[in-house]
Amino acid sequence: MAPTPDWVKQLTPSGPQGSELLATERAKSDITVERLSQLLYTQEVLDRKKKIINVLKSEKVFDKSQNYFSGRIDRFETALARAKKLRNLRVKHEWNLDEYRTASEAISEPGPYGLHDSMFLITIAEQGTPEQHAQFLVKAEEYKFIGCYAQTELGHGSNVRGLETTATWNLEDKTFIIHSPYLTASKWWIGSLGKTANYAVVMAQLFIAGKSYGPHPFVVQIRDLKTHEPLENVHVGDIGPKFGYNTMDNGFLLFNKVKVPHISMLARFSRVDLDTNQYVREGSPSLVYGTLTWVRSTIVMQAGSVLARGVTIATRYCAVRRQFQDRDAPASEPGENQVLNYTMVQIRLLPLLAATFALHFTGKSMMNLYSENQKKMNAGEAKDNGRGAGPEEIQSGSDILADLHATSCGLKAYSSTIAAEGLEVCRRACGGHGYSSFSGIGPWYADYLPTTTWEGDNYMLTQQVARYLLKSARSVLSSSAPSNDTTSILSTFLSRSEIGCAFDVLGSDSDLVDAFAWRTAFLTFEALKHRDEQKKAWNDLLVDFYRLSKAHSQYMVVRNFYEALQSGETRAQIDDSTLDVLTKLFRLFALNTLEQEGSEFYASGAVTVKQISLARTNTVMKLLEEIRPHAVRLVDSWAFDDWVLDSSLGRQDGKVYEDMFYRASELNPLNSITVDPYPDSEVLFKKDDRRRSKL
Amino acid sequence: MSDFTSSLKPRYDGPATLAAERNGSSINIPELSKHLLSRDGFLSRQEKVLQVLKRDRLFSKDQQLNLSRPDRYHLGLARAKAIQRIVRREGWDHEDYKMAEYLVDEMSPFHLHMSMFVTTVREQGSEEQKAYWMPQILNYDIIGCYAQSELGHGSNVRGLETTATWDPVKKEFEIHSPHLTASKWWNGTMGRTATHAIVVAQLLLPHPSNPSNLISHGPQPFILRIRDQRTHLPLPGIAVGDIGPKYGYASMDNGYMLFDHLRVPRSAMLSRYAEVSAETGALSRRGHPAVVYGSLTFVRGQIVMHARLVLARAVTVAVRYCAIRRQFHDRDDVKGERGEMQVLDYPTVQIRILPLLATTFALHYTGEMMYDLYHGTRETVEKGDFGPLAELHSASSGLKSLCTTIAADGIETCRRAMGGHGFGGGSGLVGINADYLSKPTVEGDNWMITQQVAASLIKKMTSCVQNPHAEPKDPTDAIFLYYLKNKDTHIPQSPIHPPNNGKADFEFTDKAIVDIFQWRAAALSHDAYTARIIEKKPWTSLMIQLHALSRAYSEQILITTFYNALTTTPTTPTSLRPTPNLSHPTTNILTTCFHLHALHTLSLSPPTFLLTNSIPLSLLAHLPNAILHLMTALRPHAVALVDAWAIPEYVLDSALGRGDGRVYEELFDMAHRRNPLNRVTFNVDWRSEEIVRGSGDAGRGVLGKL
Ligand SMILES: Cc1cc2nc3c(=O)[nH]c(=O)nc-3n(C[C@H](O)[C@H](O)[C@H](O)COP(=O)(O)OP(=O)(O)OC[C@H]3O[C@@H](n4cnc5c(N)ncnc54)[C@H](O)[C@@H]3O)c2cc1C
Ligand SMILES: Cc1cc2nc3c(=O)[nH]c(=O)nc-3n(C[C@H](O)[C@H](O)[C@H](O)COP(=O)(O)OP(=O)(O)OC[C@H]3O[C@@H](n4cnc5c(N)ncnc54)[C@H](O)[C@@H]3O)c2cc1C
Repeated sequence: MAPTPDWVKQLTPSGPQGSELLATERAKSDITVERLSQLLYTQEVLDRKKKIINVLKSEKVFDKSQNYFSGRIDRFETALARAKKLRNLRVKHEWNLDEYRTASEAISEPGPYGLHDSMFLITIAEQGTPEQHAQFLVKAEEYKFIGCYAQTELGHGSNVRGLETTATWNLEDKTFIIHSPYLTASKWWIGSLGKTANYAVVMAQLFIAGKSYGPHPFVVQIRDLKTHEPLENVHVGDIGPKFGYNTMDNGFLLFNKVKVPHISMLARFSRVDLDTNQYVREGSPSLVYGTLTWVRSTIVMQAGSVLARGVTIATRYCAVRRQFQDRDAPASEPGENQVLNYTMVQIRLLPLLAATFALHFTGKSMMNLYSENQKKMNAGEAKDNGRGAGPEEIQSGSDILADLHATSCGLKAYSSTIAAEGLEVCRRACGGHGYSSFSGIGPWYADYLPTTTWEGDNYMLTQQVARYLLKSARSVLSSSAPSNDTTSILSTFLSRSEIGCAFDVLGSDSDLVDAFAWRTAFLTFEALKHRDEQKKAWNDLLVDFYRLSKAHSQYMVVRNFYEALQSGETRAQIDDSTLDVLTKLFRLFALNTLEQEGSEFYASGAVTVKQISLARTNTVMKLLEEIRPHAVRLVDSWAFDDWVLDSSLGRQDGKVYEDMFYRASELNPLNSITVDPYPDSEVLFKKDDRRRSKL
Repeated sequence: MSDFTSSLKPRYDGPATLAAERNGSSINIPELSKHLLSRDGFLSRQEKVLQVLKRDRLFSKDQQLNLSRPDRYHLGLARAKAIQRIVRREGWDHEDYKMAEYLVDEMSPFHLHMSMFVTTVREQGSEEQKAYWMPQILNYDIIGCYAQSELGHGSNVRGLETTATWDPVKKEFEIHSPHLTASKWWNGTMGRTATHAIVVAQLLLPHPSNPSNLISHGPQPFILRIRDQRTHLPLPGIAVGDIGPKYGYASMDNGYMLFDHLRVPRSAMLSRYAEVSAETGALSRRGHPAVVYGSLTFVRGQIVMHARLVLARAVTVAVRYCAIRRQFHDRDDVKGERGEMQVLDYPTVQIRILPLLATTFALHYTGEMMYDLYHGTRETVEKGDFGPLAELHSASSGLKSLCTTIAADGIETCRRAMGGHGFGGGSGLVGINADYLSKPTVEGDNWMITQQVAASLIKKMTSCVQNPHAEPKDPTDAIFLYYLKNKDTHIPQSPIHPPNNGKADFEFTDKAIVDIFQWRAAALSHDAYTARIIEKKPWTSLMIQLHALSRAYSEQILITTFYNALTTTPTTPTSLRPTPNLSHPTTNILTTCFHLHALHTLSLSPPTFLLTNSIPLSLLAHLPNAILHLMTALRPHAVALVDAWAIPEYVLDSALGRGDGRVYEELFDMAHRRNPLNRVTFNVDWRSEEIVRGSGDAGRGVLGKL
């Protein structure tokens, strides 16, 4: 394409420049960004990020400038090149797992080794015997075996017991036969399987002598280690383009009576005895249960920063974007208004800004609880070999784990929904430019969306929370409850059911938290009444359960946010004015939620109609106004590197328009094409000056 | 490719499932289709155009999702050109052409030419200008776009920075971009395709007594050539190009454009309503663009009608797939005799999809009402008398905002309700989602424009307060006056009558439903009036409230219109009259849709109803069960109802939404046989730089593209 003419190069944006506007924003607030960043990440993590991003930036293959333009196959090809390079860098710089993860995060696209690095290695490590580790894990860690985790099928995802792939024990030659009896038995959606993996952990229904034992994991080779072609009677490929995640080769996989040896079945928790051909169970896989809880807690914590990217972009852009004069502005102020000054924009962005912190603190506290408990359980296991909690312990580790597990189900659903929907709100808040890929929000959102479906579909998961809450309520009623936070809010509610409550939600932060607890307890006993007294069918109550779970998760988030701000640890790290702003964010998050769910709070008796009305018209409005000046510094504290954000709108220096224009006119391959537009001519591209793919 | 997979069948029989669904409902599907889709011969036109497109491989949608941005544009341009040749060959009219665009379902690189470009010339050109331009436009000798939005300004048209300065000496205009933010931006068809543009620029005229002082006369439209007729390269003084990839709209070349003191003749300014005198250099304005308002209302009617089809399409996919998808045995089916449940039977799936199904009909009747009003009043409007259109015009921005938000969010809700497969290309919702998400922003940002509705409602309320005994001029007046008269004595009524002694089932009072929504709209208008007019609160501080008001008011229109359509009066236009046309049980089922749409809408924000005293508290206790009851009643008819929307397979382009239920076969075929990635074998060993196996290029291929 013709070079940009000089007269174009000389143009600058009109009015106050983006850099000036952001500088003014930053001058308006006294939040100490560095300290808040440290609170969010720790200095160690911040340093690590910086170091790793610098390494990545120096490698051509990680150049992001063509990401938004390429087609599916090119994107995958590049992603594979990146995955390989990343592995090289890891070896070269001797990065540990945290450093490696930091690098993946900064690249910000799913990569073809993704499932190998995570689920494949973890499953073999956790569910394999030492012998199996020797056989599979060593080579897997060297990336000689590259694997994936093949559970979901074309016909079944949520219902794992319904999987159709079979693994039949063959008495004669002591092997398993892996088979796909139906088309719907095809493995589907499996990350890293489509083109990359040569091994798979395959979940299949175990059959011994005609009897079914449910789904079990098998390590199966699927491609030749030399030619990388599928093995005989294995049918494998990529499932095609998707909403997002197009740099990943999610795959399908079918077996036509493939024989695998006895060692293939991961046997730490159950195995087929070679001599007796009997099915043997070895202890309970509560560790696996723990892993699930851990994975979901990570999702909660990540939801905060996933959303923070969108909020950072939208907040900075809306501070730079000016549109219309304020209707009530005096004639002496003819300039246009930053759109971030419009309450219509604030009500979309600022509660989400509050949510980023709320989710972050909640996720963090869950991970802490989890690791403390894990320590305790390990210690307990060493001490008395897996017997229950000793008399000196009020609560056994497995009780805490049960509570944590239920909580993590609900919070996974709630937090990933907020993050996913929040990103779209951020994108739309940017008006027309939000629709450009250069906003950086759209592609990020598209890649994040599956989080609402995997690791437990967000609607499905709420049933587990409800089941747990109902169980807790029953035990409270029969006075046989273990003491934990859940049972204590239920007991409190019961003990006051004749007296009622009066929460000063607008005046007292702790009352505000209590109101959330009250509503959760109320909904729990309502649901219990439906199920146990009125004997309603489980499925007829699913909508109630969904609401109940949501209420419980909202309570957890509000409480965790509150406690994080009360904790001495937090207070030691940040100054008073920052704490004050964070407290306002807490109130905004809680009151905005309370207002949206007003009728449940009202029905439970936790608040009056008058309080809801005041929250809406006064308190929330006032909070928006008070938080507004700090918005840019608050997002700054999330400390996203521009290279990571890859967004014109979200640039730290506010050079929004310059960057939009640069990407459109300089990086855009479409502008190297001259077309013949007239319908009567068959010629489409008259001239195509695109660089051919050569160096 | 035949292999062992060819003989495999799905575990459950999809076609049989859909057949059973269809047998389970006695709705007369063709009859309902005709009722919904007869306007302008929609159904037969759809069939006619479809047959032609299907014959041409160019219109196959198979590989779209795999293509890069430049390739999508390439394909888009090829199709746009081909359609023009077909139009001529088949003798299609404009409606046929629009149908083709709808069916091909991507933004054509010619789109702006036949929409905003031609409309603006037609509506704002003088007779002379029209005579000159129209034949060239209709013949596609030139191809035009509409360049209004800029890098720095979209919503605020008065803030545009491109200037058109009158040169009294040479008697011509100079078009110029003084800043980077003056760059035209987002304008469809402009990036690579157009030869001409309507450029909206600030008209600057020298002050009569002091010519060096330039006076701005606001934005005006200019028509000009931007690319050379032969080389198709930009003319000197113009920098124009494509703005790059977007969330959707891959086939469209939205563009940017800057001017360096470009000279254009006086005739470039479209001068039906305003003209600069060649002699005096003075601006004269004539007439008022009343028609423009009329057509704006019409455009918004089209947006609502389109929104209903988009939503119907998403719901069609979700309903069919969720009827075929089975997951888990019923927990209360202890013996596990009944097989796995269809996920459409889970209330948490229903509550996401069925209210949207009901809403497609709500959107339908409001769209029809807008068309009828527009056509019915067109003549008087041409004369400058808006009549009932005046009210509709101010309501139309609220309806645009509400209906496009519902449809955009609805696609995503349907997609997510389908679990993992919803995320795949086989859902058929990937493209429509990406393209449709532009709608909440274009033609008036959905948040911003609600202020217009609110402003006009405040005005209306003010005049009602001043004349509380006046005769109502229009339905909104009537609602307001009723409110003012009764606001101190109003006792809200519940429309829900739960089962009790004697009655086995829920019953609903339709009129009471309408009353609730009307009362809320009036009460919120009165609140806004009080805050702004009496208490003089700053506009900006009220925005959230105003947005809520616009939404409540627009929801009221959907509800009232739906209700009117179900309760025929002799004055109801035929298109809005299902009762006499439709056989049993369709009308009853549509009434169920009305109830579900209304109660679900209510359940989304009960506090606004409570705080305005629109509903009694007791209602809330019954609401969840009433909704469950309605969903259960609607459930057996879900497949039949989506069938009635008659969305062709070619438009659905969805494995999950296939009318014949062969979901899994199609998903597998797409992945296995039609996926180009599976033709490539990769080298996955990280120690080797080679990426595509056997290419031996040591990774240079990838680097070369970066
Ligand atoms: C990008 C992506 C990557 C993935 N990667 C992997 C991978 O590497 N390995 C792997 O094994 N899997 C993978 N998956 C699959 C993923 O785990 C499943 O999609 C997920 O578990 C959801 O299951 P499903 O698709 O069967 O949904 P379904 O269960 O079919 O859900 C459909 C709908 O039915 C509802 N529903 C289902 N059951 C019930 C019930 N009992 N009660 C109420 N409602 C119900 C759901 O809420 C949902 O709305 C991936 C998926 C995606 C999208
Ligand atoms: C796909 C696509 C195609 C397009 N095609 C064309 C075309 O062919 N020709 C053309 O000329 N243009 C086109 N446009 C531009 C489009 O018309 C504008 O993007 C649109 O009008 C929105 O304006 P904006 O981008 O300036 O948003 P902004 O006004 O900058 O909005 C940013 C944010 O500020 C808020 N906001 C703005 N003003 C106010 C206010 N007064 N009060 C409260 N909140 C406010 C908005 O709600 C939004 O959240 C297209 C845009 C897109 C996305």
